[in-house]
Amino acid sequence: GGIFNLCNPRHFTIGIWPPSTESNPTLEDPTPDYMNLLGMIFSMCGLMLKLKWCAWIAVYCSFISFANSRSSEDTKQMMSSFMLSISAVVMSYLQNPQPMSPPW
Amino acid sequence: MQRPRLLLIPILLLLLAFPGSKGRYNDDFDDGEDLAEFDDNDFAEFEDMNEDLTAEKESAPPPRVSSAQPEEDEDEDEATVELEDGQDGFEDSDTQDQDGKYDQDEFEGFGDSEKPGPSMKDPLIIHTVPAHLQNSWESYYMEILMVTGLLAYIMNYIIGKNKNSRLAQAWFNSHKELLESNFALVGDDGTSKEAVSTGKLNQENEHIYNLWCSGRVCCEGMLIQLKFLKRQDLLNVLARMMRPACDQVVGISQFPSFLVCGIHFQQVKVTLNDEDMDTFVFAVGTKKAMARMQKEMQDLSEFCGDKPKSGAKYGLPDSLAILSEMGEVTDGVMDNKMVHYITTQAEKIESIHFSDQFSGPKVMQEEGQPLKLPETKKTLLFTFNVPGMGNTSPKDMDSLLPLMNMVIYSIDKVKKLRLNREGKQKADRNRARVEENFLKQTHAQRQEAAQTRREEKKRAEKERIMNEEDPERQRRLEEAAQRREQKKMEKKQMKMKQIKVKAM
Repeated sequence: GGIFNLCNPRHFTIGIWPPSTESNPTLEDPTPDYMNLLGMIFSMCGLMLKLKWCAWIAVYCSFISFANSRSSEDTKQMMSSFMLSISAVVMSYLQNPQPMSPPW
Repeated sequence: MQRPRLLLIPILLLLLAFPGSKGRYNDDFDDGEDLAEFDDNDFAEFEDMNEDLTAEKESAPPPRVSSAQPEEDEDEDEATVELEDGQDGFEDSDTQDQDGKYDQDEFEGFGDSEKPGPSMKDPLIIHTVPAHLQNSWESYYMEILMVTGLLAYIMNYIIGKNKNSRLAQAWFNSHKELLESNFALVGDDGTSKEAVSTGKLNQENEHIYNLWCSGRVCCEGMLIQLKFLKRQDLLNVLARMMRPACDQVVGISQFPSFLVCGIHFQQVKVTLNDEDMDTFVFAVGTKKAMARMQKEMQDLSEFCGDKPKSGAKYGLPDSLAILSEMGEVTDGVMDNKMVHYITTQAEKIESIHFSDQFSGPKVMQEEGQPLKLPETKKTLLFTFNVPGMGNTSPKDMDSLLPLMNMVIYSIDKVKKLRLNREGKQKADRNRARVEENFLKQTHAQRQEAAQTRREEKKRAEKERIMNEEDPERQRRLEEAAQRREQKKMEKKQMKMKQIKVKAM
């Protein structure tokens, strides 16, 4: 009851979003950026050192980065890291078609 | 007479050749080898000598063996046949083969280069075919595992994304009416310059949804953030199996220098206007949240020094604790209705934070203390936990409605809450104290900053003088600068004299 009396259209201000004190979203969750970086490092390792497991982990990292990414983030960055990891996997298998051996 | 002689010569030659080679052969084996020890096979004489070499030779035939994938027996026969064929290339070896003796002089290194092949005694080593040449998928089981893992991740992503989306929609549907009746503008994604109501949630992430409401008398606006669990990330899902967590609704109400209310998790942040909130800092919530916020939040750590107190005095359940600037504030905020709201919704409340000095969490800066006091806004922050502990269903969103009512009630209440004279004085003193402390801490840095600024100005002026093309003007500017410098020096001297006099 009392709540609605206060809502007088003539006496309020309408502010637009985002408000000035909105914190930087990058500071809140660095996961996608870390995963992106990790993915790139692993795919470079996989390509240079011809390690298959590195390349596979890179693929996983880029997937995780994509899942955690913000919608405001650049899709090009995502796609490039993704493509890099896929190419690392493909190159590792072209150079050495043997199946991956488990570490145990 | 001559015929028999002629015949004799080849016979003699033959006879000579044979013992001769035999004799030389014997010489070679004078080291102690007894001819009788050797078996009567083609390669007997090489057996001991080439013991080291046989190891090599055995590895050489196997690649040929494996690539051809022949049967065991055939291998041996093939190998032996080949070698024999090789030997047949040599003229004298024809006769010598049958006897198994070789003329070492005539064939230097022949024995070494000759591949004697595997002897009948040693077993044939069968090497396994490299896995990638086998026509079976089983050897690629690690790869299949990886791909299955990726597929599982993708499936989880789709399912999690949909679930979060459904929850957000359910929340919005249940709260839409209440919000639209209390705010003129519901939903703004920040893209348009004008304040046009979009009427729907703004998706920031696959697990965070925002809603900006504005147009209410006492507040600048209210930002509601639905912080769901990261259901779209499989790693997070697995981590949550170890450590249960729940969705949260955060509300932040901001008042342009008014009260700011923020609700975390159903984080509602309300910003209020200056006149609408008196100066006080107050928080109530779960013990854990209070302990954390007292450490993290700038204003709570500065103004609420005491440990979180129990709210039993006001009838609050034991699970909640209170952080307050002064007792009067707590008395003012905790009226009957508020207590009722809090008690009935206690399990959903994570924290409620009212502050006129809200500036967010403590900021860690690399260069030491910041030079200016952080900007403060009057804020009301509410953090609510969505019931269900992760297994939330869209129906649970309706249960959050009373919380939203509490938010709106709080906005109005805080607007009316006024401290008495004593309280106001105390509050003012507190704020002055905090500011003074801050200034003291940053004194040295501010001095340095001022010094650098002065130097910058001087340098800029000098440059201007240098760049001045007209020599006449240059001279005049220089003189002016010099005069200013002199004046400053005089002033300083005067000051020093005054201080000295005072000291005396």
